[in-house]
Amino acid sequence: MLLIHCPYCEEARPEVEFVYGGEAHIARPLDPSTYSDAEWEEFLYIRSNPRGRHHERWRHTHGCGRFFNAVRDTVTDVFETTYKAGEPRK
Amino acid sequence: MSGFRLADGGRVDRRTKRSFTFDGKAQWGYAGDSLASALLAQGQMLFGRSFKYHRPRGILGAGVEEPNALVTVDRGPGRVTPNLRAPSVPIYDGLHATSQNRFPSLKTDLLAVNNVFSAFFPAGFYNKTFMWPRGAWEKVYEPIIRRLAGLGDSPKTRDPDHYDATYAHCETLIVGAGPAGVAAALDAAAGGGRVILIDEQEEIGGGALSDPAQWGWLAEASAKLAAAGNVTVLSRTTAIGHYHQNFVVAAERLTDHLSLAEAEGPREKLWRIRAGEVVLAMGAIERPLVFEGNDVPGVMLASAARTFALRYGVAVGRKLVVMAVHDSGWRDALALQEAGVNIAAIVDLRRDIDPALAEAARAARIGCYTGYAVTKVTGRQAVTGVKIALDGVAKEQSLECDAVLMAGGWTPTVHLWSHAKGTLRWDEAWGAYLPDKSHENLRCVGACAVAWDFGSGLAIGALPAAKPLHESKAFVDFQNDVKARDIGLAVQEGFRSIEHIKRYTTNGMATDQGKTSNLNGLQIASDVLAKPVTEIGLTTFRPPYTPQSFGAMLGHHKEALFQPLRKTGIDDWAERKGAVYENVAQWRRARYFPLIGEDMDAAVARECLGVRSAVGIFDASTLGKIEVVGPDAAEFLNRMYTNPWKSLEPGRCRYGLLLGEHGFIIDDGVSARLAPDRFHLTTTTGGAARVLGMMEDYLQTEWSDLDVWLTSTTEQWAVIALQGPKAREVIAPLMEGIDLSAEAFPHMAVREGHICGVETRLFRVSFTGELGFEVNVPAQHGRMVWEAIWAEGQKHGVVPYGTETMHVLRAEKGFIIVGQDTDGTVTPDDAGLGWAVGKKKPDFVGKRSLARPDIVATGRKQLVGLLTDDPQAVLEEGAQIVADPNQPVPMTMIGHVTSSYHSATLGRSIAMALVAGGRDRMGETLHVPMPGGVISAKVVAPMFYDAEGSRLNG
Amino acid sequence: MVEIGVKIAPVAVSAADLKLGSGPVEGTGVRLSHAETKARYSLRARDAAVLDGVLGRKLPAKIGDTADGIACLGPDEWYALLPEGTTLPKGEGLPVSVVDVSSRALGFVLEGPGALAVLSSGCPLDLAKLAVGRATRTVFETVEIVVWREAEDRWHVEVWRSFAIWLWHAFLAAMHSSGGHAAK
Repeated sequence: MLLIHCPYCEEARPEVEFVYGGEAHIARPLDPSTYSDAEWEEFLYIRSNPRGRHHERWRHTHGCGRFFNAVRDTVTDVFETTYKAGEPRK
Repeated sequence: MSGFRLADGGRVDRRTKRSFTFDGKAQWGYAGDSLASALLAQGQMLFGRSFKYHRPRGILGAGVEEPNALVTVDRGPGRVTPNLRAPSVPIYDGLHATSQNRFPSLKTDLLAVNNVFSAFFPAGFYNKTFMWPRGAWEKVYEPIIRRLAGLGDSPKTRDPDHYDATYAHCETLIVGAGPAGVAAALDAAAGGGRVILIDEQEEIGGGALSDPAQWGWLAEASAKLAAAGNVTVLSRTTAIGHYHQNFVVAAERLTDHLSLAEAEGPREKLWRIRAGEVVLAMGAIERPLVFEGNDVPGVMLASAARTFALRYGVAVGRKLVVMAVHDSGWRDALALQEAGVNIAAIVDLRRDIDPALAEAARAARIGCYTGYAVTKVTGRQAVTGVKIALDGVAKEQSLECDAVLMAGGWTPTVHLWSHAKGTLRWDEAWGAYLPDKSHENLRCVGACAVAWDFGSGLAIGALPAAKPLHESKAFVDFQNDVKARDIGLAVQEGFRSIEHIKRYTTNGMATDQGKTSNLNGLQIASDVLAKPVTEIGLTTFRPPYTPQSFGAMLGHHKEALFQPLRKTGIDDWAERKGAVYENVAQWRRARYFPLIGEDMDAAVARECLGVRSAVGIFDASTLGKIEVVGPDAAEFLNRMYTNPWKSLEPGRCRYGLLLGEHGFIIDDGVSARLAPDRFHLTTTTGGAARVLGMMEDYLQTEWSDLDVWLTSTTEQWAVIALQGPKAREVIAPLMEGIDLSAEAFPHMAVREGHICGVETRLFRVSFTGELGFEVNVPAQHGRMVWEAIWAEGQKHGVVPYGTETMHVLRAEKGFIIVGQDTDGTVTPDDAGLGWAVGKKKPDFVGKRSLARPDIVATGRKQLVGLLTDDPQAVLEEGAQIVADPNQPVPMTMIGHVTSSYHSATLGRSIAMALVAGGRDRMGETLHVPMPGGVISAKVVAPMFYDAEGSRLNG
Repeated sequence: MVEIGVKIAPVAVSAADLKLGSGPVEGTGVRLSHAETKARYSLRARDAAVLDGVLGRKLPAKIGDTADGIACLGPDEWYALLPEGTTLPKGEGLPVSVVDVSSRALGFVLEGPGALAVLSSGCPLDLAKLAVGRATRTVFETVEIVVWREAEDRWHVEVWRSFAIWLWHAFLAAMHSSGGHAAK
């Protein structure tokens, strides 16, 4: 079970309190109607799936309830950092 | 010496005898004996039959590495445990142990015929031979092979035991309580942090238990640890695995070492330990040597013989020969001789022996054969002697003996290190992989960090012999019966990576996970391929370190505690009324309320007619509820749902349809505006948590500028649905402060007031097509209000109904159930709910997807009604639909039945279905092929009752 | 197919045996009981000062802190456990959310030197490090709870109503089996 540092609670908490939220920094367009079909497909379905550093979202569902972002190495599962939603990509 | 028990020595309590049985025969030992030591003391050498060839097998090791002596322990019905290792089974009064994999008995095993034909059972034999005819593998070959080659029988009755589990936290966790582990624990304890020290054996001490010189120190250290306020010592506890961030799972055996009379409480306890630092002090396991006949009972590890003599006071034979390629064999031989075990000779392939050891052996009058190797062991069920030869090929001679000890060097136990993704490096001197780097706060001490002096030695695959490898019966993996020549064969057939060789030969794949065989297998493959070991690779260590019971994994999650079963406050009223339940998500819900003699169909028909003719009462408390509060509440809902919300007046309700961003329906529900800044949302029972999570996601990460908050109120409100023409009359006398008249309180309205003196949010809504109300009251009052309504309802013929009736009633009206009539690929238009999509809204979740080419394409599956030609035929939900019933198989399937019932109201069956281009097929006859014949049905609009909706407004 | 004779009862049937105890129950060094009836509120605001103003009291600012029966559970979330009958103003029109959830949860109290071990049997948090007077939302196995450390050996546990029966019995199971056998 992973330990995940919640940037809001400012402590490491057990993984079972969290829910994974997929890749981070994929913002919903302000006006989706201006997106072409190809652009919309990219937004909906295309993810980077890297080997190594992955920017991803987690929610501390059974804790403070907040979504936040993390950088995790998909090979070692080591978290490099976690940071609050809305902060720039790290 | 009585039997094989030495006159003195050992840690067993010679004043306390224990009686037990092995294969039904009465046996005894001393308190502190293992099953292996007690039986060896009686001269028992034969412990089991091998997996594949049914060769007689004895004890190889004195610990968890033991591959041969697997036994079944019977502690009564449901308490039969197979595949336990005899050296790790402590004896107690009344222990019943039996050997495995033999028929009819250990001494006379008819299946040993496999051994005679062993030349025909090489690696890959099964895969190559039992290929034909197709289908015979499952029905004929596999069952027979499984009977011939197998381990113990798996349990056939329910496990009556209970299991405990806990989380634990410490600053330092030490795995292994040998000298290095104990020292690390004392160190850590002095630091003041919480320390947990775990060890798999009956008592702590590890290797020190086999070295009387260390017993004084061990006793002192144990007392110190016990007295420390910050140290938890767990013996009989196996660290199963190391997981991320120093999360170590261990299983503690609480009662298996006790007689049935003494055993109380849970059988095992699962420790889920999070540690700041993990110290691995798991020691090392001695390697066997690979030579002809190395599996004859009586051939064992030198370290095992030492442990049996010095820890248990048992000689493993009366005349022993040691076959060593390592100094530790000489040391063990000397210690054994001193303890009174007769060592006839030491054979060592090396010519240069540490002079001190050679001198000590001479002084102890032990014959020494340097440069020699054992080339054959004589004897079948027991060792009678060995043949040895210079360099394995010359000057062959015979030595008489009744046991052979193997000293092949040491393999550090790096299992948990590897679980933690620690890297390994090959060490030539040790002939083993050693811990290298880890990104965890993890370190090794003692033998598993090679910080232990076993002396030096050779790392060798098979001993040299004149007999060619492919003719030899020299075993590498004892438990899976893999011989050196099988590895040779695998290489010959083209396998190069050890991962492939392992799977082809099954080397290292038995329940011992190759604790004694992996490195010998690697060395042999390396020799045959003429490549360095490091180029062949290393197989992966995976949890569990030793086999574990499923019970310990479950912990408390057994029977009624298996998982939470959510019940509403009205549930036990339903129970008293004889409700039949169904589980919906984690909830259990009353499905129908049968009267005496009624089956489900009869009960549901009666309940349906009761609702349509008078009034029904239904517990809808499980509906998901979310309170949406804040100045931007309406704006938020407008963005989430497909339809407009800003215009909804306080006091009114609206059906909301929720899409994913992909444009497909994921939830629906009726929601009410209580105040300009307060909404009461409802979701499906199963969708409550998912919908709340999705809404939080949008609110927190996309629209964090909105001032609105979501609070789950699913469990705040009990919901009592009253549906039917008499619904108003039933609740009217109980209501305070709400004008129930049709004019003042129209369909799809909400009012706040009181019922039975309790605050209520009263919804006028209908999921049945009848006049309906949903009474929301705080959950703690739900039962009281339900009973009051029930009592009042008696005057009006009220009938309680369950989810099955609810499903029929809504299907008669063509109302969908998300997840039943939709499957995650259904758009609002597909479901016939295009009216619920706000055409003028610039955006909402999923809107853009509704314009994607595939979504607007013709021919999509659409929800339609089906009326079978035979009005009494009820289609099966999930059944496939075809246009042409005469088309040869495979037929073109154009859709499937989503909902299907017998409607008592209509006196016939009704169904809903998703059919390609369904709305263009109105009036067409389609076909549903079933095993009993084809059922034909006409496509109709999914609305079977009161299409004009007049009953709603009663 | 081989008939092995194991009959596993459906969860709905087996779990029907569980009823919520009326308590209290004594174990080795631990006592489980129902907490007294409380008024419960979920309080939300982006700016705590606005909520302070609505309620006429100062809310704890740091996640995990508690003050006068109100715990801060998240950056914009507080949970109030107040004497039965307490009603709070709703702050209509203001950027706050005040929701009465009195009926949503039940409260249990675990007290005594063995209470920590009972909680730790299913809660993965290092609760020994949760200071007296602090509270947090977390889980007990798969069930969400709010743990409030009221005193060194007194823990208040909030659980949603429908999970309460399971949690009560899970605590009992731990009390039966863990008595006197916990990590130091």
